[in-house]
Amino acid sequence: MSAAIQAPPAEARHADELAFLAAWDDGPRPPGWRLTPRAVVTFVAGSGGEKLTLPKTAEFEGDRSRVIPEKFVGDRALVERCVVTLGGPRGLMLVGEPGTAKSMLSELLSAAVSGTSALTVQGTAGTTEDQLRYGWNYALLIDRGPCEEALVPSPVLQAMRRGAMARLEEITRCLPEVQDALVSILSERALAVPELGGAHVEPARAGFNLIATANLRDRGVSEMSAALKRRFNFETVPPIADLEREKALVKAQAEASLASVGVPLAVDDAVLEALVTVFRDLRSGRTVEGWAVEKPQAVMSTAEAVAVAGALGFQAAWFRSDRDVLSLLPGYLLGVVLKDDPKDRGRLLAYWDAAVKRRAEGRARLWKQLHELRAVIEE
Amino acid sequence: MDPIAAALDALVACDRPLLIGVRHHSAACAAAVPALLDAFAPERVLVELPEELQPWLPWLGHAGLQPPVALAGATDDGALAFYPFAEFSPELAAVRWAVARGVPIEAFDLPIARRTGHEREAGDQALLGALLHATGAPDVEAMWDRLVEARAPGATPQQVRRAALGVGLALRRAEVDGGGVSEVDLLREAHMRSRLSGARAAAVVGAFHAAALLPEPLLWRAPTLVAEPGPAPTTSLVPYADDLLDSRSGYPAGIRDPQWQRRAWAALAGDGTLEDAVVELAVAICRALREAGHVAGTPDAAEVARLARGLAAVRGLPAPGRRELLEGVESALGHGELLGRGRAVARAAESVLVGRRRGVLAPGTPRSGLAPHVEGLLAALGLPGPTSPPDPVRMRLDPLRADIDRRRHTVLVRLEAIGVPYGQREESGVMGDVETLTEVWRMSWRPATAATLELGAARGVTLEQAAAGALRAERARLAAGDLLGAAARLSLTARAAACGLPDLLREGLADLMGPFLAEAGLTELLDAFALVERLRRKHVPALPDDFECPAEVRAADLLAAAVRAVEGLAGSDSLDDARALLALVRLFERDAADLGTSRLGAALDALARDGAPVIAGAAEAIRALTGREPAEHVGERLGAWIDAAVDNEGRRTLAGRLGGALTVAAPLFEASPAFVGGLLDRVEALDDDAFLSRLPALRDGFDALSPAARGRLLDVLAERLGGDAPETELEDPPELLALYAAADRGGAVGEPRAAPTPLPDFVLALAAAFEHGAARPRVAQTPGVIGPRDRWRLILGRERSHLSGMACRAARALDELYGTGRGEGARGEGGGHDAPFPTVREWAGELEDLFGERVREEVLGRAAEGGNGAAALELDPAHVAPSVELLEELLALKGALPPGQMEHLRRLVRRVVEQLTEALATRIRPALTGLSTPIPTRRPGGPLDLGRTLRANLKHVRRDGRVVCERLVFRTRARRSLDWRVVLLVDVSGSMEASVIYSAIMAAILSGLPAVSVHFVAFSTEIVDLSDRVADPLELLLEIAVGGGTHIAKAFRYARTLVTVPARTLVLCVSDFEEGGAVSALVEEVRTLVESGARGLGLAALDDHGRPRYARAVAEQVAAAGMPVAALTPLEVARWIAEQVR
Repeated sequence: MSAAIQAPPAEARHADELAFLAAWDDGPRPPGWRLTPRAVVTFVAGSGGEKLTLPKTAEFEGDRSRVIPEKFVGDRALVERCVVTLGGPRGLMLVGEPGTAKSMLSELLSAAVSGTSALTVQGTAGTTEDQLRYGWNYALLIDRGPCEEALVPSPVLQAMRRGAMARLEEITRCLPEVQDALVSILSERALAVPELGGAHVEPARAGFNLIATANLRDRGVSEMSAALKRRFNFETVPPIADLEREKALVKAQAEASLASVGVPLAVDDAVLEALVTVFRDLRSGRTVEGWAVEKPQAVMSTAEAVAVAGALGFQAAWFRSDRDVLSLLPGYLLGVVLKDDPKDRGRLLAYWDAAVKRRAEGRARLWKQLHELRAVIEE
Repeated sequence: MDPIAAALDALVACDRPLLIGVRHHSAACAAAVPALLDAFAPERVLVELPEELQPWLPWLGHAGLQPPVALAGATDDGALAFYPFAEFSPELAAVRWAVARGVPIEAFDLPIARRTGHEREAGDQALLGALLHATGAPDVEAMWDRLVEARAPGATPQQVRRAALGVGLALRRAEVDGGGVSEVDLLREAHMRSRLSGARAAAVVGAFHAAALLPEPLLWRAPTLVAEPGPAPTTSLVPYADDLLDSRSGYPAGIRDPQWQRRAWAALAGDGTLEDAVVELAVAICRALREAGHVAGTPDAAEVARLARGLAAVRGLPAPGRRELLEGVESALGHGELLGRGRAVARAAESVLVGRRRGVLAPGTPRSGLAPHVEGLLAALGLPGPTSPPDPVRMRLDPLRADIDRRRHTVLVRLEAIGVPYGQREESGVMGDVETLTEVWRMSWRPATAATLELGAARGVTLEQAAAGALRAERARLAAGDLLGAAARLSLTARAAACGLPDLLREGLADLMGPFLAEAGLTELLDAFALVERLRRKHVPALPDDFECPAEVRAADLLAAAVRAVEGLAGSDSLDDARALLALVRLFERDAADLGTSRLGAALDALARDGAPVIAGAAEAIRALTGREPAEHVGERLGAWIDAAVDNEGRRTLAGRLGGALTVAAPLFEASPAFVGGLLDRVEALDDDAFLSRLPALRDGFDALSPAARGRLLDVLAERLGGDAPETELEDPPELLALYAAADRGGAVGEPRAAPTPLPDFVLALAAAFEHGAARPRVAQTPGVIGPRDRWRLILGRERSHLSGMACRAARALDELYGTGRGEGARGEGGGHDAPFPTVREWAGELEDLFGERVREEVLGRAAEGGNGAAALELDPAHVAPSVELLEELLALKGALPPGQMEHLRRLVRRVVEQLTEALATRIRPALTGLSTPIPTRRPGGPLDLGRTLRANLKHVRRDGRVVCERLVFRTRARRSLDWRVVLLVDVSGSMEASVIYSAIMAAILSGLPAVSVHFVAFSTEIVDLSDRVADPLELLLEIAVGGGTHIAKAFRYARTLVTVPARTLVLCVSDFEEGGAVSALVEEVRTLVESGARGLGLAALDDHGRPRYARAVAEQVAAAGMPVAALTPLEVARWIAEQVR
């Protein structure tokens, strides 16, 4: 028996929902789209707890009314803008700090619009133009000369041929000249292949567009050229605004990662709340109470919080009753904070001396305990 | 049936009166009102305005009036009712309709006079939150926009009215359930109800109130209080302006984006469509963006409009609204940049959507507003007014104790704030930071007073409102010019406090706790701290008694920010910074905690360890002051400083450290023997030679004290030192004096103050011992042995008359440079009574005789720095040891010299610069050489190198002539290293001299490289491009004038014009980042530069120590914007450049 797939793509995970939504809204669709824009928004941002019912005329096998859960925790207007952009002449660029679920949003959008999220290019410093345009099967190329069979289409070219969404992850990690290969694709909506004879052009089919993600503030990234920027609409994906929702998300994700190995999450809510609060405070430079604190250089994303929550869960499950879960928290926090700037330790200490201390004085045994653990983060 | 739906039906159906529920500004309602009134044809129209405003209504509805205008009613106790009107105000539409048709119009709300004492208190907001959540809107305004404005296109006037009444009803429901409608609203509603009976009426009221005006009121109860009549208000009708109408202006009852509202109103009233409005505004925004120097063309405007329409479609709206337009602008134009381009887009959108219209009153409208208000106020307070005699009146006020004086003070300060020439505060003549209780003003009413008062009238109808408006306008002006820096924010807040403007002050304080904290330096933070202290102690007379400093304003946060700023002091050589550091530590100990393991403690340790001399000395002394370090240890370290002062550099360090330490801890020097023990021991133990070579540095360090303090210190030391050392006899033969000296030195090693007994054996033995010493004692030429007390007299520059012999000569030579000193006692006892040196040459000769050649150079350098040009001329170009410090001193002279001497200086500087350049170039050239070339590779990456592939595989040719390619060869991309452009932005505002010198030298070296063009831009608040002189650092350095403020953003803006190929441009900014303008503008410029692809590097210091003194908070923001900031040595900079270019 082969092992289970670790992360099935969105179109497989939500296949029945996608089919349901296709039947639910039969209004006009942009050419090449599987769902109407409204249905795409509903798929990503949920139906707000409302039960959707199929119209009588729709043919559908299975449950004819259901609630669509919220998959992307964030502003609905943001999702609406993304969907409207995808129906237009520009590509969609999702930017934001690391760990704000940009890639997930891009995956959900392409799964809903085109039924596939697989046409993906992962940007790295080693990404070449071949991966954005086309490459060659060199043996065939030398053997037979330039011909259709020798051409190896990139995911982008495949998406153009199929009229689907192509996804470009971490586009700013590619070198600028490689990024610029996209300029002509986005403006001409066609790809010339001069090697196949003067006039050979691969036109994009209706429904093709690009969804790119980028970390603008990350280190080691190249700036995009102005020409490329003008061919995208930019959406900034913010960190989750609401403490409760972030807490719920961290909990759910940590539970899911533990469930995949069959372990329950044995970290209580108060600890999770403390964890999420610390992350939010350090991320925004302002505590929930409104006190100013110093931001560390390190990325304090929700994804990092999930990782810490997961690690706490694993440690609690596999090394049971060794130590109180709370006592592990400062160590893990230090692991997150102390990545590249040694001054970050000082910043974390300053946070401990200001915010944690003040909370410990005010209320909550938990913060008192945390404050007593200050020694863990000292050198 | 749902009770709410039934209630709504009742509201819509009611015709006694016809209820038109509105929001004070609503394009949808304003467009619907005339049609609704036409259809109903009322015999009178009621509008929700206080009854006192009734006389103004005909003027308000006058056909000659051009909105925006504002109606106001102000009472003497400061209560203000303020109603701005524009085309999109439903009340104005109703008034205009009624006036045009001759239908009676009535203001029927509770008079302002009877509202006093009733504040609107906020109830439970939970239900309102639930209501908002259900509609997905962030606040009530947005909910109204979504439910009324966005649905208005294509709707009938009746449908708009129904939607508006529905929102009002829902809000009222939420308020009733959340604790009930507030008492003042109930009072007003009761009053309005009492005016309903009579002829057939239409009532234009806030949608919230509609339910209370039904014949059978809903969600209403009679008020429990009775509205007592109070003083009658002064009412006025004044012209108004779009920028004040915008709710971001801080004026009451405004709305976001008046220009958009006006366009929406026009479209709904039948003039064009909203789609057209969206397109036109999108085009206008793109144009404004282009004018600001950013790329935004027709395709961008088209995409904005497409997005807005698409969003309206996805949301099921009939036409795009303001929200859709703004979202489209942000997505299509913003490029995901919150800073840089994002800010430019926001500014462009604001300038277009706010509009620039100014209102005009109808001809003949009576005079009202600020001027009559102020005249009344002056008369009531017994201050000179328009009818008083023109002679100035002098008055002493005691605002903290006498109420009338307090009110007078407030009026005078506010008049000052709006720029009206009326009162002038006389200088109290008290020195220092003593707070005076009384103040003296000189006042007179002049023609200019009346004229400027009329000018100020646009800002408000009362003095308080006008003062607040003036400060807000000042703030807007600074923000528009990118000048809203930390110091400006603090000063605006302090002025808001002085003028007694609680609302503005609260905003200012919020500002202090927000952006200010993130950018302020140590001094500003300490000033802010002092302001907050005064507020807490209620030492600001103009503020009302009940003003409480908001709880969010935490002194602790200011302290914490100040502690963070301390790290930026490491390279400081200013005594003011040393004092600020002490002040901070004192506050910290008082308010926060002991230093212990705190961050400040650690920062102090780090400063004492690694800081530049002055700040290190100060930190060391503070450690002793606070008991962080035992005084003996610190004292021992002070002594070690003297030991270390063996060369030029060491002596400089000694002078700086002593200066820093003395500045903060002068009393400790006087009071704690342990503290000075180390110094005393060293000064006594040194031989004459070593002492004399260190003497100028010691004198320089102690010069930080005032003459009187030095005198006291000498008295204290005298007790420890005992009596005078034996007087030297000038008649003694030189040989004997040499022996005396040797004996004294020898004695000092073992037995400090042993009297030199001329025992020949002992003396001879010692003399023999010294034969082996490294240096021959100079005493051979200059007779004299300086006793400990005399040494201290020399160091402290006091009691020169007690000195004799060589000591006297040394004192005289040094007094030439230091004079008697500054501060307390400077006018008292002079240095001595000898005539000064007739010529510098003589002085220089004496210096060399006394201290040796090297020390002579230092002293002359110091003198040159102090402005003694002739001193520099004594330096011999052929022999000076080139150093950056010397160069600094020489450059301080330029401009102060006559042309003839300038030539000498030029030769001197040229030699120093040449030698420095040569030395540096030797070090850094290796880092800058070497280029990479394209090399073939077998890793697939670039294009296939067909030629090489074929050659590499020719051995695999098949029979049919085809080649089997086993190995593929690719070409790598070679980056071209040609035509790089390096832009050096050099801050010459002061305190960066060493960095400026290194920058000039670096520029010269870089410009010597092939294919690199170097631009050298010197900036303070002005910008001078010296790029044509980079090849010659001498010319460059002589051209630069140090001084002035700092405006880094401006320099970056200029640098942007130098960038032609961003990918091959490096911008190096040498600055302490003490930005005088707005930090946000700086960040925006940096971001724009980095976005364009150019690479930037901020250099907080460019010297051989890499020890910066910089504004850390600002530097951090710049770094976050994508330009790293560091303190680097020239070699490191060269390596960085090489890395980028390769």
